[in-house]
Amino acid sequence: MRNFFFLRLFIWFSLRDMRKHKGRVATVLLGIALGAAVFSSVRLSVNASLDSFAKSMDLIAGQADYIITRPGGHVPENLITHLWNHRAIKNVSPVLSTYTRIAQAGSEPFLLIGFDPILDRPLRNWRIAPTTDPKAVVWFDLLKEPGTIILSEPLMRLLNREPGDRLLLEHVHQRSNFKILGKLEPEGLALAEGGQIALTDIATFQEFTGLFGKVDRIDLKLKPFATAQDLADIRQMLPESIQLNLPTAARESGQMMIRAYQLNLSILSFASLFVGMFLVYSLVALNAASRRHELAILRSTGASAYHIFFIFLAEGAFLGITGWLAAIPLGNFLIKYLLHGVSQTISTLFVRVRVDELSLSVFEISFSFAVTVGISILAAYQPAREAMQVSPKEALEISQLGMRSRKSPGQLALGGLICILLVLPLSRLPAVLGMPLPGYLAILLLFAGFSLLAPWALQRISRRFSSLLLRRAGIPAYLASRYVRDSGTRTAVSVGALITAVALFTALVIMIYSFRQTVEYWTYETIKGDLFLTSKMGEINRFRYAIPQQVIDNLQDYKSEVDILPNRRFFLNYGKFPYEFELLDIQGFMQYASFFWLKGDPHKIRPMLKGGKGVIVSEVFSNRTGLTVGDVFEAQIEGSYVELPILGIVRDYRTQGGVVFYSMPHFNAQYHQTYWGGLRFFFKDRSQDLDLAVAKLRNEIIDRMGDKVDMFSGKGLRGAVLRIFDETFAVTTVLLLIALVIAALGIATTLTVMVLERSQQLNTLFAVGASFRQIRTMIFWEAGFMVVIGELAGVVCGFILSYLLVYVINRQSFGWTFLYGVDWGSLGLSIPLIVITALAAALPAVKMVFRQPPATLLRER
Amino acid sequence: MNVEKSQPVISAKGLTRVYRLGDSEVIGISQVNLEIAGGELVVLKGNSGSGKSTLLSLLAGLDRPSRGELMVARHDLNKTSDSQLTHFRRQVVGMIFQSFNLLPTLTALENICLPALLAGKSIAESRPRAMALLEWLGLDARLNHLPAQLSGGEMQRTAIARALINDPAIILADEPTGNLDSRNGQIVIELLAELNRKWNRTVLIATHSTLADEMATVKIGLRDGMITDPP
Repeated sequence: MRNFFFLRLFIWFSLRDMRKHKGRVATVLLGIALGAAVFSSVRLSVNASLDSFAKSMDLIAGQADYIITRPGGHVPENLITHLWNHRAIKNVSPVLSTYTRIAQAGSEPFLLIGFDPILDRPLRNWRIAPTTDPKAVVWFDLLKEPGTIILSEPLMRLLNREPGDRLLLEHVHQRSNFKILGKLEPEGLALAEGGQIALTDIATFQEFTGLFGKVDRIDLKLKPFATAQDLADIRQMLPESIQLNLPTAARESGQMMIRAYQLNLSILSFASLFVGMFLVYSLVALNAASRRHELAILRSTGASAYHIFFIFLAEGAFLGITGWLAAIPLGNFLIKYLLHGVSQTISTLFVRVRVDELSLSVFEISFSFAVTVGISILAAYQPAREAMQVSPKEALEISQLGMRSRKSPGQLALGGLICILLVLPLSRLPAVLGMPLPGYLAILLLFAGFSLLAPWALQRISRRFSSLLLRRAGIPAYLASRYVRDSGTRTAVSVGALITAVALFTALVIMIYSFRQTVEYWTYETIKGDLFLTSKMGEINRFRYAIPQQVIDNLQDYKSEVDILPNRRFFLNYGKFPYEFELLDIQGFMQYASFFWLKGDPHKIRPMLKGGKGVIVSEVFSNRTGLTVGDVFEAQIEGSYVELPILGIVRDYRTQGGVVFYSMPHFNAQYHQTYWGGLRFFFKDRSQDLDLAVAKLRNEIIDRMGDKVDMFSGKGLRGAVLRIFDETFAVTTVLLLIALVIAALGIATTLTVMVLERSQQLNTLFAVGASFRQIRTMIFWEAGFMVVIGELAGVVCGFILSYLLVYVINRQSFGWTFLYGVDWGSLGLSIPLIVITALAAALPAVKMVFRQPPATLLRER
Repeated sequence: MNVEKSQPVISAKGLTRVYRLGDSEVIGISQVNLEIAGGELVVLKGNSGSGKSTLLSLLAGLDRPSRGELMVARHDLNKTSDSQLTHFRRQVVGMIFQSFNLLPTLTALENICLPALLAGKSIAESRPRAMALLEWLGLDARLNHLPAQLSGGEMQRTAIARALINDPAIILADEPTGNLDSRNGQIVIELLAELNRKWNRTVLIATHSTLADEMATVKIGLRDGMITDPP
């Protein structure tokens, strides 16, 4: 009964009042809906990529208990017979995989897996769809007939093929014609890689790729009684360069990278919700203040203070719930855009993902609901507490004094100062569980601190400039400054929202500019080269295939014109952290290009590096592993165990982990010979037209070796790096603009309600001789004060925030920092635009003035 | 502004104000005919809903009539533009309200100077007169106090000073003693009477109270929006 009574009271008191003020409620709901939609759709998009990646990795890993790999290389196939004889091993399955594509311009690559259908059966779930010939045993034909393949259904549709058709596929060394035997049922392994996958027999695969006698890995399934000793025995059996690992290692390292990105985007999208919180506070606080007399009447007729408290908390909850529901259609729209953008970013920066479906996880939906409603209730808490203090005797008083602020601006400013002072020590704390949580807390305190300073700043500035305004700008400006000065926390809340949005905007403009400038410098110093050449589909296959010897031999003809610098990249793991070990011709490289030095004396390091005396590591590698100058780098690389001192640290913005550089000739001499995975060309004559020279060389190579290699002009590659950079920040920019829109909504709501609440004052002004124009000008001046102060404080806050983003958040999330730089041009241009937008938010308030005729001033009581 | 005592300063013929509320109409006043000479102290009497506030709002230029003619201090309030009405409210009438209607964020002195500033005068120009008014009303020790720091009587006297800052010819007071105790109410009525007698201002007081009855030179009754004999 009590609950029903409360519900009835809420409906009578709150909902009916909201129905009378549909406009302002709708504005707040829109703000909450936008924030919730952004937050939910960002998380769902990244989760879709995470799920897709994890699903693919799990489907490919199958039931394997362990996998055998060789870091940076391949595993000899003959190991299988030794493993098969071990008493603890139940199943053994060799696996190879590569990306291939049909031999047609513009075709998309897909994953081709080579396996033994008999050995693999117990380890992975896959089923071939029945064919028209009931006697056909497709998987057996896969074994029996060379050059045969099975495709997943989506892939078959994409390539417009049927069982029985032929498929010309291309790879590093050759093109091969495959016969399509059948299609996979849409289950198990067929669902990996977004459903675009093909299977072939291991022998066919090896013939196609040239990897005779080698496999990528051997998957093991152990017998139930296998012990730790058995595992140790198995390890003993393996040659030194071969490792036994859990199958989840690759998945976990990929997930770790995606999660860091997810956390950053979540925090950014949370900012939209945070700004929306100010809207809720604003509306509930104004409701509580403007209905103060009614609250007193409620109290005087028997409502308890807690009734009042929970009514306003319930208003906050109602706004949160309704806003979240309104976010559903908005989120549907946003997610279509975000899903593509986010998965593309993840594929480009971290690991390849192909999202085939969006799953609405109960956890994510509940989480988004809980966060939205939670912060709405939190926003309503303070106004609810103030409202419960209204005394019943106020029912008898005629109050013309407006809202009484209980907290002095000075007290709030002190709190704000404490928050800001805590920012520096918090930012110095290390990451927690790999996440920059102290950094994020520092950012929250920064926003809170500046928002708490807002009332004091409004008061001080208005007090300082009141007389000047009266003399120079007239009575409307003066009255506006006086009102803003004395309105206390009311206007300060909207100013706080604007400070948050402007600070975010400023900080991200600076961060993106700093990042871009640094990356641009890095590409021009380190990714130097007139032409780059790899084996066909080299990049997507992570440079695992050598450039054909025939190509290398042919290229010797150009040695008089160009210096050809070879390199080789190994993709390894340091614990769970993925990184690249890159061998290159350091001597040649340093003639034309440079590393972007961060730590260590380049003059001392260069000769040592050229002499193969040690390695240099990227900043990301150093920050992630904790290894620094003077430490020893150790790694198993194919058949060799490498131990080298770290000579220096360089900036490198290559994604997918850190980088370690070493001299290729010295590796070949000290450890083992390795093939060339890529080539970099530099024209010796630097005075010629290099664009023309590159185009000519490229055409000649295509004519001679055409389809055996992939080539990129240096200019094109550097441009592509920057383009990818710009695309990855497109999502960030959209989120930011939404936060600004929400802040503008906050200003509009506050000003409108301030006008409505002060209708008696405004009518009095009218009665004592103010014109419509003077009163409207006064409203614009009020908006102007709020916006200017919000803007200025936001910019200052934004500069501090930018330092946190560059030197704390990025460093702890991704391992890198960049050179700090400010794009004064963009900042200078954007700030007036923000001011104009925010002032436009004053228009609804201006229209509200004298919605009721001034004669109501004299309405008899 | 001075108006000759013999000339009608307020003249209304067939003055009607009808309010439209949704589908229905509410008559504020109907067919009011009125002539008030300059320098009169008029008491307007009537119960709640009689139309006193409607009539006062028309006379103050806060509202426009639905029908009829209305001349106030040679201003035809039917035909004036918005900017002319603004000038009218600044210079011709001074309003005093039941609930004082002082701006809470301005001091007593600032509230008084406000109409002058709105009329384009500087603070330096308006301050001397404001100080003189404060002194006359016994508020010179309160000039820097905010309304929250004033008593009810002090607030109403501040409001009277505000009404007089631009030296209007006509003072309109809507239940000026409604929120005051009898002593302060008496003080306020006596001040208004003094304005009328000494300063020759036309004063119109709408009230239930009998405090002003003795000092009135004209009494007008209103009932159901029409002029009647005063009670």
